[in-house]
Amino acid sequence: MNTFDFFNQDFGRHLTEPTGNALADAQTALSMNHELLTGKASRLSSGWGIVRPGRSSLQLGVRCTGIEIVGNTVSRFQAFIADLQAWKNEPRIYLMFDKRPVPIANLFVTYDPRAVRICSAKGVETFDFTKPPNDDSGMVHRVIFKQMNGGK
Amino acid sequence: MEGLQITATLKSPVIVGSSAYMTLDGILGAVLFDQLQDIDGAHAAIPIKQTNGLFHASAVFIEAIDKGRTAFIAGLYPTHSLDPDLILKNKKGGLHRSFDSSLTNVMNTYRQITAPSAAWYVVGDADRIKTLLNRVEFIGKRRASGFGQVASWVIEPTDTDGLMGYEGEPMRPIPIEMFDGDKTLPIVDAAWRPAYWDLNNRTACYAPALLN
Repeated sequence: MNTFDFFNQDFGRHLTEPTGNALADAQTALSMNHELLTGKASRLSSGWGIVRPGRSSLQLGVRCTGIEIVGNTVSRFQAFIADLQAWKNEPRIYLMFDKRPVPIANLFVTYDPRAVRICSAKGVETFDFTKPPNDDSGMVHRVIFKQMNGGK
Repeated sequence: MEGLQITATLKSPVIVGSSAYMTLDGILGAVLFDQLQDIDGAHAAIPIKQTNGLFHASAVFIEAIDKGRTAFIAGLYPTHSLDPDLILKNKKGGLHRSFDSSLTNVMNTYRQITAPSAAWYVVGDADRIKTLLNRVEFIGKRRASGFGQVASWVIEPTDTDGLMGYEGEPMRPIPIEMFDGDKTLPIVDAAWRPAYWDLNNRTACYAPALLN
């Protein structure tokens, strides 16, 4: 399955009406305003999301069905660590949201914890979750290992 | 078509995108597109063996002697160059504006690799490849800023299929259904054929480790 078909099937279609154009639908889901549980509207501009087959999760309280809304009880790094430690050999898309929308070119599926891709507006960080970070490692890899070892 | 090792001697550090493999068919396809101005025509003219759309051309192999970061500041002057009547209006009837201020600077940081050379392994037509590569003076990103300058190209015959190494490891992104090498390696999401920027070409692949 193509990256964007997976994204739309298990995440995007719960946020926006599918049009049949997978790329455009993914772009819309990531950049349009969504109704929040508070009644206000907002883009996916903070927090995190994890796209999974059949049971995706989102931190931001968007009013929708089909996606588990987690709320502010779990940080992005805690969510990624828990998901990677319970790896079930299923594809994932790990998302970190910021003020700018995540460009669809930065959407990559993670198929293996040895090649984790963290997708954000700033870019894509790739790392091996089974190995500790080294001098070349990015911020997410460093923070994840620090938190796994008891740091904050 | 024969197995070839292609080596570029580098005169300056090279910048490779964070998710890029810089396969040789991609480089040749870009040269051909400059000539033909036709994407499909350019890809059809790449003088490298294909199997079901998969080019027998490896990703770039670079043995770094140093890795570092370099940053560029870009000054953005947001103005509308289009007729405002053609642009979708916001709810108040005004134009959408990308920035609140009239001038914004953005900093882009890249990872640069210093190496004496870069190499590829392909099955192709040596003479036609040489003709195309003679037009390539820079490779990678930020070429206009002097990164990835190539001093010379060398093409030598070698024993390769352009797809897998001697231990069954992938030398380029290969869709999982087309890969018969070492399947204990991790699967990654990658574009497997040109145009590599076309997001429709991404799928689950076996692929070499990214340079960055």
